Amino acid sequence: MAVQHWADALRKAKKTALISDGKRKAHYLFEDGNEMAEEYDLKTDELVLRKWRHKTTFGGQGQWTWEVGETNPNDITSDVIKENCSNPLFMRKDTKASFQWRIRNISYPVEVYSVSAEPTERCCVIRTSNKKYYKKFSIPDLDRCQLPLESAALSFTHANNTLIISYKKPKEILTLEQELLVELKKLKGTSEGDIDCKTQ
Amino acid sequence: MAAQVATTKVPEVRDITRIERIGAHSHIRGLGLDDALEARQVSQGMVGQLASRRAAGLILEMIKDGQIAGRAVLIAGQPGTGKTAIAMGIAQSLGPDTPFTAMAGSEIFSLEMSKTEALSQAFRKAIGVRIKEETEIIEGEVVEIQIDRPATGTGAKVGKLTLKTTEMETIYDLGTKMIESLSKERVQAGDVITIDKATGKISKLGRSFTRARDYDAMGSQTQFVQCPEGELQKRKEVVHTVSLHEIDVINSRTQGFLALFSGDTGEIKSEVREQINAKVSEWREEGKAEIIPGVLFIDEVHMLDIECFSFLNRALESDLSPVLVMATNRGITRIRGTNYQSPHGIPIDMLDRLLIIATTPYTEKETRQILKIRCEEEDVELSEEAHTVLTRIGLETSLRYAIQLISTAGLVCRKRRGTEVQVEDIKRVYSLFLDESRSSQYMKEYQDSFLFNETQSPQMDIS
Repeated sequence: MAVQHWADALRKAKKTALISDGKRKAHYLFEDGNEMAEEYDLKTDELVLRKWRHKTTFGGQGQWTWEVGETNPNDITSDVIKENCSNPLFMRKDTKASFQWRIRNISYPVEVYSVSAEPTERCCVIRTSNKKYYKKFSIPDLDRCQLPLESAALSFTHANNTLIISYKKPKEILTLEQELLVELKKLKGTSEGDIDCKTQ
Repeated sequence: MAAQVATTKVPEVRDITRIERIGAHSHIRGLGLDDALEARQVSQGMVGQLASRRAAGLILEMIKDGQIAGRAVLIAGQPGTGKTAIAMGIAQSLGPDTPFTAMAGSEIFSLEMSKTEALSQAFRKAIGVRIKEETEIIEGEVVEIQIDRPATGTGAKVGKLTLKTTEMETIYDLGTKMIESLSKERVQAGDVITIDKATGKISKLGRSFTRARDYDAMGSQTQFVQCPEGELQKRKEVVHTVSLHEIDVINSRTQGFLALFSGDTGEIKSEVREQINAKVSEWREEGKAEIIPGVLFIDEVHMLDIECFSFLNRALESDLSPVLVMATNRGITRIRGTNYQSPHGIPIDMLDRLLIIATTPYTEKETRQILKIRCEEEDVELSEEAHTVLTRIGLETSLRYAIQLISTAGLVCRKRRGTEVQVEDIKRVYSLFLDESRSSQYMKEYQDSFLFNETQSPQMDIS
């Protein structure tokens, strides 16, 4: 039922699509004024990037926040404070069958990590026994469809200084994503170049 | 040689924030009332005007209650009887959380926007909305601070800050601004701090328990706190007060809040305002926001014209309107934009809505007190006789003129290397600077020798 709710919201959203540099790019403007942008690989149809821009409390435009895809840490040119480049870098990069998170630049041995799902708080937690890294993250896709969080679906591996955490996508999500992709392909996006863009 | 050393001595580094300029009403810190709202004779920089101050105190209570919207108050009195001082007193007693917007009646006559737009903006600046907003903060215990100064002595400093919680540890790169505020706050290893990510504001929560030692010499105000748990970066709800005008500006353009900094806001569409009013009352009903009606103070209100007054009449009826305080020093005069005469230059229908507070001229004793307060404010020492002379001047000419003489006399005194202003210094500046009546007298005597006096023209209409 909740899956239906999210699917309806997607259907009602104003969608714009275009294809450029080997990616299918889609922009959704929802009825509440929030915006979502997605990019899919043309060859594999994998989701490369998804970002959100929410309205601020006072109605102004907020900053883009990344949900899926590579964030460029050098992009944030804050002269106040920023994380040092030696710190672990957290990002999400999905595959067809599962949600996947990568933590790069983290070099502790595999025994150190423990990953658990906390259904009450609706989030997953990564802990390290040497108390160097800790991260709480939620799975927005599941939250949107109000699907339960299951620890059994969660697994992780560590190799090449990278910790990879996978969560098997439930059936509902898989069908929804299929439908969405079909819908997007039907959208007649301009193949290349400028499109009408309302700036004011 | 010794003298040379003395002159090249490095000047003491003073805290920049503490230097304030002295304005005409900077000695006023409140209305000077006691708990029963009775005015004290001399308190918080206010002297005399007991009845008016008590009246202002009642208005102040009404504003603080925040229940009644759209009341208007007029402070009327001769020049130099403390009208603006009372308004400043109200502003000071309200504190920083209640919006207080001060403007002069002539400010609305701008070429860039219409009079009514300027007035509505002023009205909306005086209404605050207190609302919860989420911001990102970093909270943790300082493990290490490392600040490197460049070897050449010039250039940007670079710094690293290591913070930890019970679960994790992260290294941060610091910008110049951050390094400055860290050293200003004297943050050391072992302190538990929070940093607002957007503004860079640091607050020290205390020292970590794990760093407590038995024989550490600590100030009594040092608090010990637990090392924070969980993630270093957290989202936290903070309460913000913004004015309705600021929300208008954010929503009136797609560029959003950047318009706040560009200055030129232009006119805001009435649809935008209506939308925001609806949104704000929705928030209020949901308990998300609280409306703080503030004060709009319009000085020299006789400068407004008939259109503005009719607009005010209408605007005061809205339930989102602040308490309006106006001040005027005119008697029965022409209403601007018409040929009608009216008390204070305000139409009768407007006057009917007002609570009028009258101020009366100061007595000799009060004048003496005010001059004493101003002397302290301007850091000038006055001898007893000089004080008496200055009081007489204040009574016979005007209080403002006497106040002007304080700092000039102080300068004359310093030039002759005196420590206390004497009667001679006052006499000196009194002869150097004319007061208003002596100046008019002079004009009458020498009118004929001034320029453009060959032709007799009718008197200029200045009302």
